[in-house]
Amino acid sequence: MTKKTLVNSKLICVALNDKKQLAALEGTFNEAPYKKPPTQPVLYYKPRNTWNTDGATIEWAKDFSGQAVESMVVGASLGVVLGKETCRVSPEEALQYVGGYTLVGDFSLPEESYYRPDIKGKCLDTTAPVGPEIVPADKISNPDALTVTLSVKGEEKSRFDLSQMERSVAELISKISYIMTLQPGEIIAVGFAGDRVPVAQGDQVEASIEGVGTLKNTLGGA
Amino acid sequence: MRHARILFDGRELDITIDGQDRITTSEGEQLDVSLDSDQITWLPPVKEPGTIFALGINYADHATELAFEPPKEPLVFIKHANTLTGHKQVSYRPDNIDYQHYECELVAVIGKSGKNIKREDALDYVAGYTVCNDFAIRDYLENYYRPNLRVKSRDSLLPMGPWIVDTADIPDANALKLTTTVNGKLTQDGSTKDMIFDVPFIIEYLSKIMTLNPGDMICTGTPHGIVDCQPGDTIVCSIEDVCSLETRMVSEQEYYGDNY
Repeated sequence: MTKKTLVNSKLICVALNDKKQLAALEGTFNEAPYKKPPTQPVLYYKPRNTWNTDGATIEWAKDFSGQAVESMVVGASLGVVLGKETCRVSPEEALQYVGGYTLVGDFSLPEESYYRPDIKGKCLDTTAPVGPEIVPADKISNPDALTVTLSVKGEEKSRFDLSQMERSVAELISKISYIMTLQPGEIIAVGFAGDRVPVAQGDQVEASIEGVGTLKNTLGGA
Repeated sequence: MRHARILFDGRELDITIDGQDRITTSEGEQLDVSLDSDQITWLPPVKEPGTIFALGINYADHATELAFEPPKEPLVFIKHANTLTGHKQVSYRPDNIDYQHYECELVAVIGKSGKNIKREDALDYVAGYTVCNDFAIRDYLENYYRPNLRVKSRDSLLPMGPWIVDTADIPDANALKLTTTVNGKLTQDGSTKDMIFDVPFIIEYLSKIMTLNPGDMICTGTPHGIVDCQPGDTIVCSIEDVCSLETRMVSEQEYYGDNY
């Protein structure tokens, strides 16, 4: 729980929203324990202990015996910040509820399974930086046309065109707003490149979207 | 001592309730009203709700009921404050589903920040206990981060309260009778002694992963005895020495009104 977090009350992340990743995992998803591919957005929360800011250090996670974990990964997403209460809205009207856009970093343990909520992997302290700022919604004409890039130690490691998302920003807002009433300042991280990027202790990580900004963080533990 | 939040006489009040059921506000004012009065609107008892942790299949008999092996480590999922509602409030049943059931659960409310908390110290971090009803809609289950948010993160589907009982007033949280009635008929009859992972274990486990903070809640799972609930049903979840939580089911249309 960082004081200056840009998140109000809730940070929802959408997993498995990269078409390429879904196609690659189709065989796996037809087998146990999944049995069939997801029919709905696959969602998880980064709870308040994870919220962090631009420029901050991300703690290197420890395992249950107190030792530094071997590997961590990072994904980056466009963060859609709700501007008003959003309850049961259609995809056609959904973007009217957006107050602004930002970047969300999701540092975690490697994604090994999607079967059970990944509390051990995703809920680690300080692992959800959000920022550097919230850009007003009217500055972004089409959020689905943006590209998210991720670089580690100055080298680009991942590039994700949001046109490659299984579900668009508007569709996600609509779907989620039929599950729960969203409040102003709540943020949806709408999609991550399927291949999460490995990081090491001390690495500098930058997530960027043109027109939204660059979110810079450093891994701790070095 | 018991602690609650209510609307009374047009005011939102933090109250304490003593052993004689007398109500005192945080300002020291005594309220001349009985606990079962319709003049009281009960709010969810945690004033600034944080992260809500809920456990799945944490009673061996419920695991069997759902055809699961009892888990080797806690199955934890997260909920947020949009799901909360108070005692004697309504929860909704979505349209066009076949099976929605209650889950009567003991809730530990975190009162102090901590990480890497040892089992033996865990209760120092618990402000008190309350009761929740962690409704589930089985139709919406999918095998991705199961139980998925569509099942467990819906508005109004986590009634809680009416009050929080101080930890010190519950000498053994794992020896409490737990019952649920639907329209007055007993449908769930268990004991917190059958929990697989108890509150100290769960606190040690979660706090190895992350910092727990005041206002976080841990809903500890439900035993055997779940049944489908329909609009119009009145569900009462009770845990001995803690409290009884009453919920009336309504339809999706009645709940959402103009937003339906």
